[in-house]
Amino acid sequence: MRYLLFSILIFPSLALAEKNIHGDHADHNAQHGHEGHVAMDYVGGTSSELDVPRFDEFVSDQKGNQIAVVSVSGMVCDFCARGIEKTFQKDAGFKKIDVDLDTGKVLIAYAPSTEIINEEIEKKILSNGQTVTDIQILTAQ
Amino acid sequence: MVFSDKMRDAAYYHYSPSYEYSLGIELVDEKQAMKNHANFRYTYLLNRKNTQNSQRNLYFQSSLSAGGNDEYSYGFLGDWETRRYFIGFGAQELKSNLRDYEKQFVQIGFAPYLGDYGDLHSWLMIKSKHDSRTDKWNTYPTIKFFKGDYLLEFGVDENDEPDIHFMIRF
Repeated sequence: MRYLLFSILIFPSLALAEKNIHGDHADHNAQHGHEGHVAMDYVGGTSSELDVPRFDEFVSDQKGNQIAVVSVSGMVCDFCARGIEKTFQKDAGFKKIDVDLDTGKVLIAYAPSTEIINEEIEKKILSNGQTVTDIQILTAQ
Repeated sequence: MVFSDKMRDAAYYHYSPSYEYSLGIELVDEKQAMKNHANFRYTYLLNRKNTQNSQRNLYFQSSLSAGGNDEYSYGFLGDWETRRYFIGFGAQELKSNLRDYEKQFVQIGFAPYLGDYGDLHSWLMIKSKHDSRTDKWNTYPTIKFFKGDYLLEFGVDENDEPDIHFMIRF
């Protein structure tokens, strides 16, 4: 019985996997092509990538706001990363947040008049159990 | 979190003042003993290692029962996971005036696809549980789904008994 139930349950999962594999190919050129990733070399010597189309979409309605591009380690699970989003949403100073599990990046938008210091962002991420490895502050044009 | 298997149904609510520890109350229906009781639980993160692609955790877990018989338990839980692979284990000593026993489990799994944040995520897993009262290992497949603030893990063990975990993050 358990194998029958497991087979029934596994089907949608494998169907999603197939969809995702095909989707990867389709999306690779459209959204995740090599031109869509910018390698960022950091002072600490680590290197990671920013998904530029995703970043552009994030900042499209954030003109004039500050954008923190936060590199986070230990962010391997959607369910666990939920806490990061909830933590920032509780603070009215932060306008918008995006979590990218693929690149380990969290994008956070806030008004330029808001005094946000890197330590505050680090503290909020750490309160959820992940570790900040780098923060870049940009201004959305 | 709601949990159900052959031995017990349980609902567990916990509050985490920080990521390092949580306090919770578990309402348990012991099916074979036909009794209900509450457990107060304390979980403490002993060690966590975050890397770019993985996270490793080791927890101390303890409980004190309000159901009499001086029941209490303590043990360890550990896991290592990437976005693709998961390994977990746990060992628990359960003590009371009536009987002392132990429980252990190991679990491995993989994600057949890597979803984006907010997608439906799926894990295919194998779980093996041991209870010293029966002195048998029970090994069976489970499947775990999560999306947003909801997580469901479901399996059916060798005795055709369901093993269900349902969790909501508030």
